[in-house]
Amino acid sequence: MNTASDRPVVRIENLSLAFLGQDTVVEALRGISLNIAAGEIVGLVGESGSGKSVTAMSLLRLLPRGKTRIPATSSVNVLDRDVLKMSDVELQRVRGGEVSMIFQEPMTALNPVLRVREQMFDVILRHQKITEDDARKLCIDLLRDMKISDPERTFNAYPHELSGGMRQRVMIAMAFSCRPKLIVADEPTTALDVTVQAQILSLLKERATATNTAVLLITHDLAVVAQLCDRVYVMYKGKIVEEGPTKTVIGNPQHIYTRALLNALPEGKAPKSRLETVAAAMIEGEAAVSPVPAAPIQPVQVASGKPLLEIHGATVRYPSRFDFLGRTTAYNTAVDGVSLTINEGETVSIVGESGCGKTSLANTLVGLVPLSGGRITYRGQDLAKLDPATRREIQIVFQDPQSSLDPRWPVWRIITEPLTVAGRKSRADLRAAAGELCTLVGLDPKMIDRLPHEFSGGQRQRIAVARALSVRPRLLLLDEPTSALDVSVQAQILNLLLDLQATYGLTYLFISHNVSVVRHISDRVAVMYQGQIVETGPADQVLSHPTHAYTRTLMDAVPSLEKVFSAA
Amino acid sequence: MSAATNTTDATTGKAAQPSMLATAMPLLLQLRKLAFLLFFVTTLLFFLLRLAGDPALVLAGNDASPEQLAAIRKQFGLDRPLFIQYFSYMWHVLQFDFGKSLASGEPALWKVLDMLKRTLHLAVMAVVFSASLAIPIGAWLGFRPETLGRRIVGAIIFVFQGVPGYVTALVLIQLLAVNWHLLPSLGYGPLEWKTWIIPTVSLAFFMAPNLIRVTAANVAEAMREDYIRTARANGAKPRELLWKHAVPNALLGTAALLGTQFAMLMGGSAIIETIFSWPGIGWLLLESVQTLDFPVVQAEAFVIAILVFTINALVDLSFRFLDPRLRSKGT
Repeated sequence: MNTASDRPVVRIENLSLAFLGQDTVVEALRGISLNIAAGEIVGLVGESGSGKSVTAMSLLRLLPRGKTRIPATSSVNVLDRDVLKMSDVELQRVRGGEVSMIFQEPMTALNPVLRVREQMFDVILRHQKITEDDARKLCIDLLRDMKISDPERTFNAYPHELSGGMRQRVMIAMAFSCRPKLIVADEPTTALDVTVQAQILSLLKERATATNTAVLLITHDLAVVAQLCDRVYVMYKGKIVEEGPTKTVIGNPQHIYTRALLNALPEGKAPKSRLETVAAAMIEGEAAVSPVPAAPIQPVQVASGKPLLEIHGATVRYPSRFDFLGRTTAYNTAVDGVSLTINEGETVSIVGESGCGKTSLANTLVGLVPLSGGRITYRGQDLAKLDPATRREIQIVFQDPQSSLDPRWPVWRIITEPLTVAGRKSRADLRAAAGELCTLVGLDPKMIDRLPHEFSGGQRQRIAVARALSVRPRLLLLDEPTSALDVSVQAQILNLLLDLQATYGLTYLFISHNVSVVRHISDRVAVMYQGQIVETGPADQVLSHPTHAYTRTLMDAVPSLEKVFSAA
Repeated sequence: MSAATNTTDATTGKAAQPSMLATAMPLLLQLRKLAFLLFFVTTLLFFLLRLAGDPALVLAGNDASPEQLAAIRKQFGLDRPLFIQYFSYMWHVLQFDFGKSLASGEPALWKVLDMLKRTLHLAVMAVVFSASLAIPIGAWLGFRPETLGRRIVGAIIFVFQGVPGYVTALVLIQLLAVNWHLLPSLGYGPLEWKTWIIPTVSLAFFMAPNLIRVTAANVAEAMREDYIRTARANGAKPRELLWKHAVPNALLGTAALLGTQFAMLMGGSAIIETIFSWPGIGWLLLESVQTLDFPVVQAEAFVIAILVFTINALVDLSFRFLDPRLRSKGT
């Protein structure tokens, strides 16, 4: 498949890099070596902080010089020239010319005040001596290659007028515009929905193969690598711990870290089984206290069958247009007549892509967003008329523990805030309660005086869970609780949730876009699409034998290790 | 292998051509706001001024006899109940008739507009001058804020921010007019460019430090954005990064502050106007309040309200011009 070329496009040798702080030195890369041949698609996998993005940035020397230190023994050769020794002018020629980059966040990677046209011209006219007319033709062709149905309109649009997937297509079109020898794609699809991700990845692969462009794909997602890459490098703490052909590395991992990473994935594991987190403790410095029960979890019996929460034709609308007198004249419907029953003790998941209304539904259940139509009952009573004590039995854990915890509050105050809403308590009681709750979620109770920023992402999500548990809820709404976390940390949180459910008989409404997580944790699954539930049933049935067209599209788009290996 | 690739994810669905009414809606909403504002300003001032003194007494002078007062009350309708007076007054205001100045007998509104011309002259000059100072300096400072030279300049600007405008004005008069006889120290002459320099520079010295700091902070923030990294990865030169990518994104804050400063000059330029014997609306306001010249005060409040409102509307408009995202969001 590759044109065998002796001369590699990239040859990184013994690259080390340290970030210099005021009085600290953080070593981000510790002597990595990496080669990419012409036309080759190479994956670079690792968790956050492993140094994979730093490697990408170093390829074009994009990191601030004054704040980093690279030893003289390091070299980063792009087409046999050392990037580390280039002058600024030479460097500007390579950047966007011979090597181009695609970044993670299509929402912020394009300049919001410039049209797509201006941004594409910016690159093309800098690196190629062609007329504006030719540049224009080139852009339209490139956008058409990206399977954009109306390239003229996209060409003249501002970034905010395009969806995330469209913007990433524009980024890819820009990346290919000057016929680069190498494209560095840093988590190009992490911010996108799975169905869009599948389109973007295959476009990238298609264009790269057609133009014989080498690609360095940086990702945390092993399934994406398995689907796309010829070879893969695995990074851990600034070092490359394993490399080789993708099938070998993933099918027969040698290094303990690669194995741990694969074991932490819920995919292919028995539903509700404990996920292995061998590496986790050593990786994140995650709390060493082990979660509550030491014994392996017994799968919870599929519910006592008593309905706990019943949703009948729930509708949520947001006002979108107003007339002269300030009256609402139009609405956006986020949730459109959804009906769903959640039984005591079971885990029901709502799967869907961004904008499908799943978060609006969750917010309605805790009273953050009013219901515009339909009825919700909790234990037979109307949700809107619940007494406060009963209402407190429904608690929520949000997606991003970074922003859902007050940064100026110590952990004990955060955790016990729901208790103070319920009634006045002494400080000593609250602190004692916080300590107990910490133990419950596997955090050291000695840490209750610390502030949120002193914790890792996984620990913060444990704090959020502890806060939800403080008022002894029966129903826990989990809104994408693991999507901001690394795979190994995700495994820990999933284990914790399963442990807590087994111990306290909690009922979960789990909201996620991650199909393999949902498959792992759920008894029943509801698939949501454009504000409606299109399919519902037992997890295995819905996800393995989908009947609705949308569910099938979704399942086809999910990158999966199994799919790749069974295709081989 | 991989999933279907032919499906395209849609760009934001654009609705069909918006109706005329929908296009004019932002303007209508603005006008509605302005109408409310003017109603409240006029009403409030009407009653407040009645609390401040008896207009008949002002008209007749302090040594007028009770008969003279009664005659004046009758003549100006001041003997009618307050609410009748109020409605009659509002009826006249609707026709832009604020009555005649008690001091000079000219129509009050004319008098205000005449003074307004001079204040606007000065304010526009000062705004243009400060903006043309602040944007380049702010951009330069924000580009690499941590370097030594920029830190020093930043510190100097910080000091200037604490100096009131009239201090600069007095120093400039002393140096340029009194000591060196380069420029006239006072007077208003619309065609005499020399009279403009010291007032404009003094006001700019007062306004610019704040503007520079806001611009620099916004540029520095824009320089940390992802799209700057994208542009760098595409080979953009430092100059392009700054002027093409960072500055256009940073100007929103500058425009907002410039609007606030402009609005403040409208009502609060009395000190500078007094120092330079540059009679404008600030000076007129002082004068007419001191002499209880009700019609002029009321006309002036009305005009300032419209002005401040217009300036704010212009700032909003400039936001739409500067940021395409605000253009498509409607009001």
